[in-house]
Amino acid sequence: MQQPPNDAAIELRGLTKRFGDTLALDHVDLVVRPGVVFGFLGRNGAGKTTALRILSGLARPTSGAAHILGHDVTHATDVVRSRIGFLPDVPGFYPWMTAREYLELAGRLFGLDAATIDTRATTLLEMAGLASVTTRIGGYSRGMKQRLGIAQALINAPSLLMLDEPTSALDPIGRREVLEMVASLRGRTTVFFSTHILADVERVCDDVAILERGRVVASAGIDELTARTSANRLVVEVEGDGGAGSVVNVLTGRSWLKSVEVTEQTLRLTVSDLPAAQREIPRAIAEASVLLRRFEIEEASLEDVFVELVGGPPQ
Amino acid sequence: MSGFGAFLQKELTEIRRTWRIWVIPGMLVFFGVTSPIIALLTPALVKSMSASQPGVSIRIPTPTSLDAYAQWLKNLDQFVLIAVVITGAGVISGERSSGTAILALTKPLSRGAFVIAKILSQVALLVTATTLGTAACLAVTAVLFDRAPVAPLAKMVALWLVYASLLVVVMTIFSAAFRSRGAAAGAGLGYFFLTLLLSNWGPMARYTFLGLMPAMRDALMGQGLSLGWPVTTAVGAILLGIVAAVRIFQRQEL
Repeated sequence: MQQPPNDAAIELRGLTKRFGDTLALDHVDLVVRPGVVFGFLGRNGAGKTTALRILSGLARPTSGAAHILGHDVTHATDVVRSRIGFLPDVPGFYPWMTAREYLELAGRLFGLDAATIDTRATTLLEMAGLASVTTRIGGYSRGMKQRLGIAQALINAPSLLMLDEPTSALDPIGRREVLEMVASLRGRTTVFFSTHILADVERVCDDVAILERGRVVASAGIDELTARTSANRLVVEVEGDGGAGSVVNVLTGRSWLKSVEVTEQTLRLTVSDLPAAQREIPRAIAEASVLLRRFEIEEASLEDVFVELVGGPPQ
Repeated sequence: MSGFGAFLQKELTEIRRTWRIWVIPGMLVFFGVTSPIIALLTPALVKSMSASQPGVSIRIPTPTSLDAYAQWLKNLDQFVLIAVVITGAGVISGERSSGTAILALTKPLSRGAFVIAKILSQVALLVTATTLGTAACLAVTAVLFDRAPVAPLAKMVALWLVYASLLVVVMTIFSAAFRSRGAAAGAGLGYFFLTLLLSNWGPMARYTFLGLMPAMRDALMGQGLSLGWPVTTAVGAILLGIVAAVRIFQRQEL
């Protein structure tokens, strides 16, 4: 899945950020392909916001390198900023402005001409559902601010849109609206968004990286990641005296068996060698003198992947 | 200095459309109008107070337009400078704590442009408001007193504006350096009282910008002015202060 670095929308190499004794990012390596919606997943405090702050030029890395669209973010700041759109987790707007005025200011900061700003502001306000709102931003709800935040991040038609927890504080309707906006950008711009909400990633992302305690523990396409985990999980349902427990007794000690959850008639096994498990489990069932009712590879969800890699659900 | 024009325009619009248009200009126009009135009424007030105390006799000369200007200067030196300290404290720290700086500075707006636009807009506000207040003071003085000479007032106010502009720059440094508006205001008040104290020390008044304070009074009294050192060091301090504010803000992580 990884492209040569020059084609990458984002490339992090050994990115490290230390705050005193706290290691917020620990040698993070990551490549984000252009044109995808990329989910940057992790628990609260995993280091997602720190990474985004470095990428957007608000903070400096302790060591390592961060490149956006081939440019080093610590040196080519204006070149990078002119090609990105950024939405922080809690966007701060000037409360005395209207949404259109804010988009006009953003457009002028990008050096756009008046006609382009006018056209784009109209389109983006429509997209954000704020075209008919004439009140000042100070009176907006959190959801309205979040939608305006995405709109202002798109005023320069960025090659890369970076969103920090764009849905975390929204109600279900606001969340759906923001995710629909993000999904509608697929193919037109690269979207890199951090979140701790697994459902959001499953819903709109093509690729995902999981960050845990400042380290990337997995990075791949969602399908690839879930398939990787699925290939290790089997569900076996049996019937007869002794039930699933008698099968477990036979299987105990097999080198390929990583873990097993047992209910009365069902076993959920995590294995390290699927072909070996597929060969030996039917034999074990026969040996335990129970009937086989179901034997299948269990499809993993992103949550399963997350729990397996991180050891607990996102907070 | 990318984004400077757009951000300066935003700053000026913000002044026009928020409370900032009322505080300093309102204060200056109020003091501009009331300073000559207070100067005119002071002898009568003192006389009425001394009349209530038997045996006490205070003789005060008839007030002149220079007394009106002196009262105006007293208000500028105290209340208005303290207002500059308090309003200047939040100029950068406020944008940082509200998150507005983050959205602006992730666009092609350099931190240098951000800081310089802040300073220029504040100085522009101060110059405009001081001009209005001075015009009000001049007009009321002309009505209440026999004559209202423009030259000493203009010289005095010009020197005050140089001094106040330096205070704006100093407050921008504190606002960039401290994350909290309160800490910046505290540092600003410390600077204000320290410079007030030091301006009474001869060598400091002769060779540094602190000499602007006595020079304002000298300008009013029509005494010969030796402005070389005070004005040069003030302009130098303003330029160095701008560089310092930009550097401090550039080094900070948001």
